[in-house]
Formats: sequence, structure tokens, C-alpha cells
Amino acid sequence: MPRTKGYPEALEKKLADTRLYEDERHPEFTKTVEKLSMSIPHMCYQCGTCTASCPSAPRSSYRIRKFVRRALLGLEDEALTDPDLWLCTTCYSCTDRCPRDIAPTDVIMAMRNLAFKRDIIPVNFLKTVQAIYTTGHGVPNNDVNRAARKKLGMNPEPPTTHAFPQYVKGIQKIIDYYELKKNADRIVKEREG
Amino acid sequence: MAEKKTKKETASKKKETPKAAVSAKTEKAPAVKAPATEQKKARVGVFICHCGTNIAGSVDIPDVQEYAKSLPNVAFADNYQYMCSTPGQSKIIAAIKENDLTGIVVAACSPRLHEPTFRTATKEGGLNPFRFEMANIREQGSWVHMHDREGATDKAKDAIRIAVAKASLLQDLVPKTVPVEHAAMVVGAGIAGMQAALDLANAGIKTYLIEKNPTIGGRMSQLDKTFPTLDCSQCILTPKMVDVGRAENIDLMTCAEVENVEGYIGNFDVTIRRKARGVLTPAEAEAKGIVGGGCNGCGDCEAVCPVIKPNPFEMGMKPRKAIYIYHPQVVPLIYTIDWDSCIKCGLCVEVCGEKKAIDLEMKDELVKVKVGTAILATGYDLFPIEKKEEWGYKKYENVVTSLEFERLICASGPTGGHLVRPSDGVTPKKVAFLLCAGSRDNTGVGKPYCSRFCCMYSLKHAHQIIEKIPGVQPYIFYMDIRSFGKMYEEFYYRIQDEGAKFMRGRVANVLEDPDTKNLLINAEDTLLNRPIKLEVDMVVLAAAVEPAAETDRTRKLFGVSRSMDGWLLEAHPKLNPCGTTTAGVFLAGVCQGPKDIPDTVASAEGAASAASIPIHKGEVELEPYFAQCIEEKCAGCGMCVNLCPYQALSLVEKEGRTVMQVTEAKCKGCGTCGGFCPGGAIWMQHFATPQIIAQIDAFLIGGAK
Repeated sequence: MPRTKGYPEALEKKLADTRLYEDERHPEFTKTVEKLSMSIPHMCYQCGTCTASCPSAPRSSYRIRKFVRRALLGLEDEALTDPDLWLCTTCYSCTDRCPRDIAPTDVIMAMRNLAFKRDIIPVNFLKTVQAIYTTGHGVPNNDVNRAARKKLGMNPEPPTTHAFPQYVKGIQKIIDYYELKKNADRIVKEREG
Repeated sequence: MAEKKTKKETASKKKETPKAAVSAKTEKAPAVKAPATEQKKARVGVFICHCGTNIAGSVDIPDVQEYAKSLPNVAFADNYQYMCSTPGQSKIIAAIKENDLTGIVVAACSPRLHEPTFRTATKEGGLNPFRFEMANIREQGSWVHMHDREGATDKAKDAIRIAVAKASLLQDLVPKTVPVEHAAMVVGAGIAGMQAALDLANAGIKTYLIEKNPTIGGRMSQLDKTFPTLDCSQCILTPKMVDVGRAENIDLMTCAEVENVEGYIGNFDVTIRRKARGVLTPAEAEAKGIVGGGCNGCGDCEAVCPVIKPNPFEMGMKPRKAIYIYHPQVVPLIYTIDWDSCIKCGLCVEVCGEKKAIDLEMKDELVKVKVGTAILATGYDLFPIEKKEEWGYKKYENVVTSLEFERLICASGPTGGHLVRPSDGVTPKKVAFLLCAGSRDNTGVGKPYCSRFCCMYSLKHAHQIIEKIPGVQPYIFYMDIRSFGKMYEEFYYRIQDEGAKFMRGRVANVLEDPDTKNLLINAEDTLLNRPIKLEVDMVVLAAAVEPAAETDRTRKLFGVSRSMDGWLLEAHPKLNPCGTTTAGVFLAGVCQGPKDIPDTVASAEGAASAASIPIHKGEVELEPYFAQCIEEKCAGCGMCVNLCPYQALSLVEKEGRTVMQVTEAKCKGCGTCGGFCPGGAIWMQHFATPQIIAQIDAFLIGGAK
């Protein structure tokens, strides 16, 4: 077929059956998300205030409204496997403005936690885990920062684990309790070898 | 059983004593006849309703019926699918005759709806209607224990046992009738109040129409056009305003507020505060002996008045003087002084001259009137939409509310009907209408309800700018367009056809370009799943509505409740939307909940009709739940007199003794005095102590077997 020449995969995608089937819905997913987020995504009326408030939406394919809809319908696989799940900056603008008093940000956080349980997580998030484990900081201090702090007459190291590295142990204990580091190391190894 | 008999005997003794004394001594004959025949053994009939499956679905009816038969004093028990139906009522009538019953218990729904039905059936069977008692096994039984059949069945048995205990002790009572004053009152003279007052007046009833503003007309007089017909609002309203002003049966009081309400249906004594308006009407002038004087609305005073203030009728967008009228079509056409801004320079008095209409020393006056029924039509205010900070109202000049828009687009408004931007007076070419601004909001800041008429007026606004401004583009940001009325959906079709762009998304925030004062709208086109950033010249917020500021004070005076959303509470949301839980007080228009003009007028006509019924009947029956004084026990201490919330009790001299006397028409049967009386000298009819104790006993110790 000449029309498909060169684009078999793309065409297959275009011709796929995208109808919503009842067996995709998992009502217990909605309940789990509501419990973890302590919020009420089942009350969403799809006004779009969240997406319109979102600083990520104009710059990416991330649509918070769509995720809340998926939470409402219980579309577990569709929500957790969508890489857009990780594009929320957790600025909470949507939560501030939602007229139904839902906390869409917390809904996203709940779904991220559920995704992580299935090893679905971008590597950069795991590297953050590793950074916190070793330094106590997601974004550790660097030379540019140190110079700037010095210029402002401050200690180049902030009064955190950077200035008191002996407390890193405590942080590690907490992370180990949740086996976060162990899982992060395992997944990074699987992905990057 | 023995204990119960004792009580019954005590009851009858108590009962007979006051009766004898009252009928012998007082000139006003008691409405209650002596219970002569009651002492025959109680024979109670119990009827259990299935209410389709409403009750039978979760209550074991045959089991409950068997149980009822086993109760003391029960002579007959039956069940039926719908006891309220004609065959159901016939069962009661037949059973009374066949089984010589003395009391009836129907176990069904709440007495709220069907107590009158079954009382009538009891009466038709030959018993006094007050020998009926209802056991609520639906609202308080099957509905709340829908998934607990055993529990619901047990609870139904308890309810019936308690009701039978009371029915065994019920006595004959005769309702008292009181005459109804042939006059009515309407509070608020917007379109609802005006329509209600006109209907009452046309039905031959003297009507006092009370309005706190200097003119009648209300919100409707601020509107430019009305949807979906696009009639000019003022053009259809002013004839009615004139009718109200002229109607002989309407006593119109503007600048007036209800100060106090006493009494009950048929006989409300209302005190009205007529606020000093500083200007005499021709009638008032004549009463003062100023022949041919009083205000004729010439406006000379306004011309000389040196004080300039914003006119609230124009949403503050047009100036007025300290002596003013809202607009040229006001009714009555009488000027009013704004005491907060008047400097009493006396220029107006001088220019008014021989008419002597202006009195700068005028004081408020209290007027008392007596009415049979009253209608509240207190209307609405806009929700202070600046509380939703994200839309920038009161922060950005070119963000206006829908009412401000109405004035700006109205030919008689501050701009002569030319829509302009407040910041620079330029005609806008792109206008965004933000729907659900503060409505359907569960954040605690806005209102959770739908304000009901914003969709339609925003469509109308879009039409108005398309009509007046060539090349204009209206954008309507909406979540749902609620165009449910007659010809409303067709209107929606028409406006879309005229070129309004409907954007399905709620606006997240509005920002201002500080140089151009243009507005940047952030929303999502939820149908395209894409965020929108739109620059417009003007934003119109379809702000939510809320009860008018003074509503709460007024409703408390009339004893009217409000529902969770703040609007006044109707007696029944479907079957009695104009009534309230206070007999003789009715609701018209938006004070009961958001309504557009057609619904408001319909509601007002309904309220007027309901309010005229007791007046035309000429008398009302009061439920005979009055307190009665057992004079031989009364020590005349008078403590009950001060406790009574309705001023129904007084002390009188009888046979050389001081005893308490009840004014039955004032008594609401609340039981405060009966519960308090240290000597047990007060008998609460239908809720007598022995009856209540029998109910408690029946519940706690299974009744006397």
C-alpha cells in the first residue's frame, strides 16, 4: 500500500482503536489516589482553570486537567504510563484556583508515588534521590553558589548538611527505611547499566 | 397497664377542671369542648403504609403488623400500599366504624405532608380529627436504614408502639378560628414585590408596599434589555411602576423599612420606619396645611445643590447631588436628601420657594399597620466579586461587573448607551465575558450554587455589543451554557450565529498590560485541550448573586428561616415554593433563590395568590395546641408570663384569686410555660404531660403491658 510506505508505525498509531472501554477503568485507583492525595478528584467538572493556571502547560504537552480526569475515571495505566506525569513543577497554582477545591498538585504527587511502585519514573528523579542520599540536598551546593555566597559575606556552605555533614547519616536512615535509595540504584542500573 | 390507667384518669381530671372553670367564668367561650366521651376504653387502629417500596423495601410489613396487633389498646391493624390514596383512606374510615375505634395511628411518612390527609380521614370516619397520631417510619426509618432490614423493622415497631401509647390518650380538640385582617404587606418593591402588590391590590386587598430605596423598580430598572425577547427593560417596567404608584389599594412607602413584627397569621402588627427623606410629597404638604405645595419633581433643588456624590443606581458611574432622584422615571417622583452628604446650606429650600417641599429637619417616623399576610420580596445583591482576586475587579479599570455593563450599554446610562472602557473612554473591540464568576464555587470564597440567569444575560450582552459596535468580537468563557427557558436555547443559537465566540473553559486569571490597560486572559480551551492567552479590551464578570444586604434582618423579624445557601427557606421546595414555615408569610422572587424575570414574576403571582387565600376566606384555623391554665392549681406566681416568647399569657383576677390566662390566638403551643410551671398548672393540649410520659414509657419500658 503506497500510502503507508515509510510510515508503518505512525499510521498504525493513527488507525488504532482509541475508544474508551469500561475494562480500562479501575474504580479502586480513584479511591487510592484520593486517599494518598487527601483530595477529591472525583468532584472535577473539567473547567480547565488548572491547566490555564499551569506554568508548565504553555511550554509542554502536560495537561493537569487530563490527569484529574483520568483519576476520576480510574484510568490507571493511561495515567501512570504517561511521561507527562513528571512535568508538574508542583507550584500549586492549580490548587490555589480550583473552584471545586480539589488539590490537583497533590493528585499528581499521589499518582507519581503509585507509578514509582511500578518502577515507572524518569532517571533524573532517581538521580535526585541519590544526590539527597549522599549530600542531603536535591541540588547540592556548587562553586558558582559558593562564590556568590562569599561575595554576599555569607558562609560559602549553608547551615544545612553542607555545613554539618554529620547529619547526612540521619537523612540516609530515613531514605533507607523506605528503601528509596536501594530501588533508585536498582532502577538506574537497569536503565543505564 | 395499671399505671397507665391511673395516668389517664389523672389526665381527665386535669382536663375537666380548667374546662369547667373557663366555661363558667370567662366571657370568651373556650374553643375546646369538654371531653365527655373519652373515658371509654381506648381502641386504637394501626395502619401501616408500604409507600410502594419506599417503606416495604426495607421494613417487614407483615411482621410489624403482627407486632402492632399485640400492643395494648390496639383493636385493629392493617396495611396498604399507599395509605394516602383514596382506598387507603377508605380503610381508615371503614375501620373506625366497624371496630368502634377511639384513636388512629398511621405508620408512614413524616407528618409534614400527610398529617392533614389522615386527620381528614379520621374525621370522615366519625372521630375528632385530633384523635390521630402519625408514626414516621419512612424519613426516620426505611430511608435512613435502607440497607438494614432488621434494624428498620425494629425501629418501625418502636415508632408504632410510641404512637399507640399517645393515641390511647388523645382527646377531642376543636381548632380555633381567628378573623383575618383584610390587608397585606409586601416587603421590597422590585419587579417581584411590585407584581405581588399589584395582584393583591387588583384582588381587592389593601396592600402596604414597603421599599427601602427612594424609588420602586429594583434591579430590573437598572437593566437595559431583557432576554430572550430583547424588550427594553425600562419600557416594560415603567408602566407597572406607574400602575403601582396609582393603584388605590396600594399604600406605597418608599424610604421605609420594617422595624418590628408582632402577631400571627391574620393579625400581624407591623411597625414601619419611614425614614426622613427630607422632602414632602404633595399629600404630606397638604396635611401640613401647605396648599398646592410638596415636591412636584421639578428638579430645581438638584440644580442648585452644591454637593456631588456618585449615583448608586448607576453603579457609581454617574454623579448625583445630595438632593436627588435615581433617574427620571422614578416612582414616586419625589426628591430625596442624602443626609450623609447634605451640608444643610439651605439653597434647595430657597429655590423650592412656595412649594415648601423641603424640610431639612425632618425626622424618621414610625408607622404601625395591621395586616393579615405578608410577602417578602427582598431581592439580591451582586456577590463582591473582588474577593476572587484572580479576575482583578477593582484592581484593573477595564474589568467591570455585569450590572456595570448594563448601565454602560443602556441608552439612559452614564454614557448614553455607548459602551466605553472606563480607563480611557475608548470603544472596546474585543470583549470577554466571564461566566460563573463566583458561582459554582466550592472554595468557600464564592457561592456553591448556580446563579441561574448569568448565562442568558451574557448571551444578551454579546448580542448588544454586536448590535452597537461594528467589528466587535465578543468571547464568552463558559463551563456550561444553561439556556433552559422558553426560547432560551433558540436565543443561544442566534447569538452564536451572530458571531459570539464560545470558549469552553473557566478563566484562571486576568492580568493587565499597564501601558495599554488591555487585559490578558489565561484560560484553557478545554475542547481543544490547549491553554489560551487572549488579549482583550474589556472584561465583563458575570458575578454571582447573593441575598440583598438587609435580608437577614428582615427575615428574622418575620420568623423566616434561610436555607444552607443563604436564600430564604420555602415551606417545600417543590410543592410550596412561595410559602414559609411561618403561617401567613410568603416569599416572592429572588429572595428565595436566583430567578430570571419570567420566573420572578411567576413566583410573585404565586405568592400573591397564596397570600390572598386567608384574606379572602376571612378567617384562619389555628391548630388547637394551646396552653390551658388549670386554675385550681395555679398559684398566680406569674413566672410563666415572662417566659412566654409570644406574649400570650397574662394574670387575671378570678373569684378573688390571681390566675394565669392564655390568649389562645397568640399561643403557638411551644410548651415553654407548660414545661416550666412549678405547680404543674399548665396543660399543653395535644402534647399533655401524661401523653408525653406515656410515649417515653412506651419507648423505654416497652409500654405498659
